[in-house]
Amino acid sequence: MTRTVMIDVENLTKRYGRFVALDGISFQAVEGEILGFLGPNGAGKTTTMRILTGYTPPTSGRASVAGFDVFDDSLEMRRHVGYLPETVPLYRDMTVRGYVDYIAQLHGIADRRRRVDEVLEQVGMHDRQRSLIRTLSKGMRQRVGLAQALVHDPEVLILDEPTIGLDPQQVQDVRRLIHTLGERRTVLLSTHILSEAEQLCDRIAIIDRGRIIAVGTPAELQSQLQRGRRLFVRVGSGVSTNDMLRLIKAVPGVEQVQAERGGYVVTVRDGADARPALASAIVGHGAALLELRPLALTLEEMFLEFTTRAESPSRRQ
Amino acid sequence: MRSMRLIARRELAQFFTSPIAYLVAFAILVLTGFMFNSDLAQRVGKAPPDGTYVLGVFGFFTVFFAPLLTMRLFAEETREGTLELMLTMPVRDSDIVLGKFLGAWAYYSAILALTLVYPISLMAVTQPKPFEAVGQLDIGPVISSYIGIWLFGGAALAIGLTFSALTENQVIAGFLGIAVLFVLWLADFAGQVVQNQTVAEAIRALSLQAHYSTSFLIGVIRFEDVVFFIGLIVVMLFITTRVLESRRWR
Repeated sequence: MTRTVMIDVENLTKRYGRFVALDGISFQAVEGEILGFLGPNGAGKTTTMRILTGYTPPTSGRASVAGFDVFDDSLEMRRHVGYLPETVPLYRDMTVRGYVDYIAQLHGIADRRRRVDEVLEQVGMHDRQRSLIRTLSKGMRQRVGLAQALVHDPEVLILDEPTIGLDPQQVQDVRRLIHTLGERRTVLLSTHILSEAEQLCDRIAIIDRGRIIAVGTPAELQSQLQRGRRLFVRVGSGVSTNDMLRLIKAVPGVEQVQAERGGYVVTVRDGADARPALASAIVGHGAALLELRPLALTLEEMFLEFTTRAESPSRRQ
Repeated sequence: MRSMRLIARRELAQFFTSPIAYLVAFAILVLTGFMFNSDLAQRVGKAPPDGTYVLGVFGFFTVFFAPLLTMRLFAEETREGTLELMLTMPVRDSDIVLGKFLGAWAYYSAILALTLVYPISLMAVTQPKPFEAVGQLDIGPVISSYIGIWLFGGAALAIGLTFSALTENQVIAGFLGIAVLFVLWLADFAGQVVQNQTVAEAIRALSLQAHYSTSFLIGVIRFEDVVFFIGLIVVMLFITTRVLESRRWR
């Protein structure tokens, strides 16, 4: 079954004066897919989203959402997109219901009463519908923002940093909500939290300085990063740190070792799996091996990894 | 069209849910009330009642309070981020501008309607009595003044709206609006400052007073004055729409 392409971006460029915010990016997202934009601040995530919602036109390139060109059919395209900007756009002096109802009216929704009820139920704000928005907590405001983006039942949802500034419980709630929403719709969300992208997204696009430097499923991206992998080792007491460092350093395949976080962080050479040798060396020395696990890449490391890769071929040219 | 009406309605409702609107209405009524009373006290038994006196004062008040009404319209939305939402809704930029303008104008009209209490009470106290020496209220200038102040108010709001779109700081928007309106109001006195007659007349042609105080207010409805205010509204709203569009490019 081929799935319809809902977001189609081709060679999109955006310049602000001399500053190049987007440097010819291309990607696609199909229906029922959650695509995550992962990147540092100023990488071009928000700019891309603003182009895809018709807020700002691209300098060059082409983009269409739900089959409508973002520039030529801007008004029609906006009917099919729900957008939650990073600063949740709320009228603080309106009630939750009044606000969502107002947005529904602007969208020209036929069965408004029912739809507003439905969407407030969906984001879990139905019992607070009479509250003034100014009295709500950050998490609740985020939900109201989502309700606004959902009220016209759009095929495409664009969410800019939907979990930023929420407490852990709220983050989980919002993620669960997005996950449900993504079953039927195309969701494009941006984040700078790697674990969030891994947990939520079907595919991740890593974006840096206006360019997409890697796209793939979370598993694909991780496997691309096998080289230079790091292991974390913890041993029982009784062996001096210096002995241990010397011992680990001698294991074939080990490039570097550091005592850190109550254990040892071992950097393994490209392609080598040093774990069996490491384990037997430690146990053979008479120490108790308490822990041996790969260290997950932090976002910073992942970036460094991908950005240096993206740069080196261009340097060669 | 439909979205314009929705936006206008929300803006009008917004005026009535914030205390500022009521304070402005209260202040205007107290001030014009004083004016009305003192004017009436001076005239009793000496001169015929003047139904336009309060509206002359109201024109000057408009210079100051029209920008106060419009300063938040765009500045606040920019700051709160709701403008980004509005600009990504299936709504034309011009509908947003027109909606906000009409909402503010409707509120202005409501406040203006409060001052109807003065001509009505004048009509009540000056029942035509053949043997009374002092004349009765001349209703003609009152009607033309209301038409004039209504158009004047619209133009003042349109100017204020433009400044609100230009900055995200409400205070700056309000201050610039008042400054520009005040200069346009005083442009009537250009002849006293500028020696060159042509230049003075050109400046005076832009003066708000010249198109209101010395025409509508004395019972004259001139085509050029109507065109001046409507033209000012159209031009300012057009500029505001352009300013709004330019936000997309920045």
